[in-house]
Amino acid sequence: MMRRLLLCLLLLVQARPALADDVLYLYNWNNYISDATVSRFETHCRCTLKQDYYSDNEEMLAKLEAGAVGYDVLVPTGNAVESLIRRGALRPLDQARLPHLGNIQAEYRNPWYDPSGHYAVPYATSVTLLGYNVDKLRELDLPTDTWALIFEPRHLAKIKGKVTVLNSQRELMAAAMRYLGHSVQSHELAQWQQAKRLLLRAKPYWAAFSNSTYIKDLAIGNIWVAHGYSNDMYRAQQDALAAHRPFSIGFATPKEGAVLAVDNFVLHKDGRRPDLALRFIDFMLEGANAADVSNLIGAGNPNAAALPHIQPEIAGHPAIFPPAAELRRLEMLRDFDPQLRRALSRMWTEVKVR
Amino acid sequence: MTSARRRFWCISNLNSGKLARWAVTLPPSLFLVVFFLLPALIVVAASLREPGEFGGLAPLFVDGAFTHALTLDSYRFFFGDTIYLEIFVKSFFIALLTTLICIALAYPLAWLIARSPKRRRDLLVLLVILPFASNLLIRVYAWILLLGPLNLLYTPVAVVAGMVYVHLPFMVLPLYTNLEKHDPALLEAAQDLGAGTWTRFWRVTFPLSLPGIFSGSALVFIPVLGMFAIPELLGGTGDLMIGNLIKEQFLDNRDWPFGATLSLLLTVAVLLCAGLATLAAKKSFKGTEAVT
Amino acid sequence: MRVEPPPPPTPRPGGGGDGGSPPISGSTRLARPGGGARLWLWAASLGVYAFLYLPLAVVVLFSFNDSVLNAEWVGFTTRWYDRLLHDGDMLQAAANSLLIAMVSSSVATLLGAMAGIAMQRYRPRLLPFLALTPVAMPEILLGVSLLLFFRQVLDLTLGLTSILIAHVTFSIGFVAVIVRSRLAGMDESIFEAARDLGATPWATFRRITLPLILPALAAGFLMAFTLSIDDFVITFFVAGVGVVTLPLQIYSMIKVAVTPEVNAVSTLLMLLTLSVVILAARFAPDTLKAKA
Repeated sequence: MMRRLLLCLLLLVQARPALADDVLYLYNWNNYISDATVSRFETHCRCTLKQDYYSDNEEMLAKLEAGAVGYDVLVPTGNAVESLIRRGALRPLDQARLPHLGNIQAEYRNPWYDPSGHYAVPYATSVTLLGYNVDKLRELDLPTDTWALIFEPRHLAKIKGKVTVLNSQRELMAAAMRYLGHSVQSHELAQWQQAKRLLLRAKPYWAAFSNSTYIKDLAIGNIWVAHGYSNDMYRAQQDALAAHRPFSIGFATPKEGAVLAVDNFVLHKDGRRPDLALRFIDFMLEGANAADVSNLIGAGNPNAAALPHIQPEIAGHPAIFPPAAELRRLEMLRDFDPQLRRALSRMWTEVKVR
Repeated sequence: MTSARRRFWCISNLNSGKLARWAVTLPPSLFLVVFFLLPALIVVAASLREPGEFGGLAPLFVDGAFTHALTLDSYRFFFGDTIYLEIFVKSFFIALLTTLICIALAYPLAWLIARSPKRRRDLLVLLVILPFASNLLIRVYAWILLLGPLNLLYTPVAVVAGMVYVHLPFMVLPLYTNLEKHDPALLEAAQDLGAGTWTRFWRVTFPLSLPGIFSGSALVFIPVLGMFAIPELLGGTGDLMIGNLIKEQFLDNRDWPFGATLSLLLTVAVLLCAGLATLAAKKSFKGTEAVT
Repeated sequence: MRVEPPPPPTPRPGGGGDGGSPPISGSTRLARPGGGARLWLWAASLGVYAFLYLPLAVVVLFSFNDSVLNAEWVGFTTRWYDRLLHDGDMLQAAANSLLIAMVSSSVATLLGAMAGIAMQRYRPRLLPFLALTPVAMPEILLGVSLLLFFRQVLDLTLGLTSILIAHVTFSIGFVAVIVRSRLAGMDESIFEAARDLGATPWATFRRITLPLILPALAAGFLMAFTLSIDDFVITFFVAGVGVVTLPLQIYSMIKVAVTPEVNAVSTLLMLLTLSVVILAARFAPDTLKAKA
């Protein structure tokens, strides 16, 4: 009897690692896949999907750079994909095992950060733009479709202390570069200096640099204009609506152009389950599954088959799904060499301190 | 006790005394050498390297050849102009202000706790630390809600208030453990000599509590310098501290050598301050020895 | 966890206020500040407690708020608690945090007490530097250096262990400082007397040093506990795949939305801490007394 019990226990102990082996580790942004999608995938592959979260590409890159391993799939933005490829941190995709790859729209295929399309499968997009309090700005008779709103003192004078901008050197300086008519991938130091001067001139009118609190501040009515990401603005809009605020939140891509971020699924080279990872990516390429992220957080979607499954007010929003003509005015961030990075960081410090 | 036996005790005391010395010195030293000193040396070395093309550090070996010699570039960059020094000075000022406010707030509280009946003391200490069992971020968000209507949000005042709030227990607890051991007989003696309440406080209690104030100040002043979450969430457009600057180098800017350089310079500056404070403390202890 | 020392079996050197052997009632009364000053002390302390608890009240209140935005009071609900009880990830993260905080602060208290005693008694050269520099080092640097060390030198698989080691590393200094400041200024003659009477170092420790530093140990433990349970930066770097602590869970929510569910988990965590401490305080004295 005792022996049989022991045997059973032994079997149990041995059985557990076998079960635990069918686990796919995803290093992802928080709330970037709905719980429903996760459980559908787990049923589909008879495995477990475990997620760790980061809230910034740079956090993920720093952690991987210092040697963290164990993740099968990462979800980096375009510029981070390029860095990861150049560092040799990624595993090429076996495209034969991704039958639904054709669902990706032509505009998003073979991007500059992965020209051969060997490493990255685009998943969701966002645009860095301006969100605003519709009623307040109408009342003050201010334009909402231009960066001038957060850079020109003649506009800012009316909304002093009611504006937040992203606490991100890359994003904020990129916005200034677009307003000045330069490329956000420019290597010209003089152009960046010009952007710095623009920021310094506008800074006294801003309330704060904010990367996260602006969603709430905008929805509450503490601030009237925020520089931020389209999906965050969508959230602020929905929150204000749900809380029956006496005003509404709008967001639009400035006509001077803006930064487009494309987040991709990639395989980490040290991941132990590339087989499960590929099944996961292909599952996420199916229209209904791909659409989830758009419906969940109001993200743009590079997947053509997803469009019919996306709520019309999201799919039809020009700031979330930029029309083809507008897409040409959007640029992606690109990582610079160490010298330029240091020079830009020095300028940014000056913006923060002066 | 026979003399032989006494000698035996002396010898064994000597040996066990040595043993005791090693027993308390060795474990923490060993742990810290392995898990602090060795990792820190990697970072010291990192500050002398060049940033990698795509973040991190430049590879030491490319195709088997040693490619990157060590460089003082990061240090040159730091001292190249005054802007980074300015941030250092400003951060030290905020840390000092936070520390002083913490002393002012913590002292009455610590004193009250130390002088309360034993039964009540447990509860009072616990009440100080309890708010800190909740999450830092949540408490800061609560501050956002409290400061918003006062029009203080996104100002330096908000930053200092947040800093004081987060670090207050690190002042109260050392002060309390110090004040708790004071001998009431001293105060009694002072009273017998006709000293009033205030005189007794300034001439007896306060000088005796200086070690507590010093250790509390170290535990407040130093962590404040490296803090970045509070300036980021509560501060306005000008509230950049060293902590934020260092975080930016490791994350946004992917410039590990400069981040390491900033961290090392900060650490050295802090240790220098601590050294100076210890010297000052030694001097003032000499003054208090007359009292004890 | 105990907040109070048991009455020490030997007379306390350098006093001991109400904590020592039953004090003469007169001296206790005299030791406390007189009428006006006492009122002032109570008022100031209540003010400080209010400062500590105001944000906390907001946290608790808003955990019952029927609003995702959580910026103003909308209506009473318990749905966030309901949701929390069904949120496996969040509960797991809270359990991990609590476990890590308990274990790491116990180890840190032990090692930190050793370091504090060693620093005061034997004045080692290297140890103060080893114990204090982690306090002075920016968190992000400590995190990155530990991660580099764990992965590239030790080739350790990241997980609970790596988080525990990291938390102990940065907490030791805090405990050491408070223990040392407790011992500072204590009358050395009592230790000498014990030695002269033939007490072994262990007996001296058990009978004299330990009762003396108990309040410092309790305070050090509490500090280490709050440091551990709140740490985000270092934990972020050294956490292994699939091991999530509460701060990690909450910080990753910043970008999406910090819902009142987080207020709910903070409230529960505080209640849990409170009850653990009260239970410990209830049961610990007997066991300790039995030993002593």
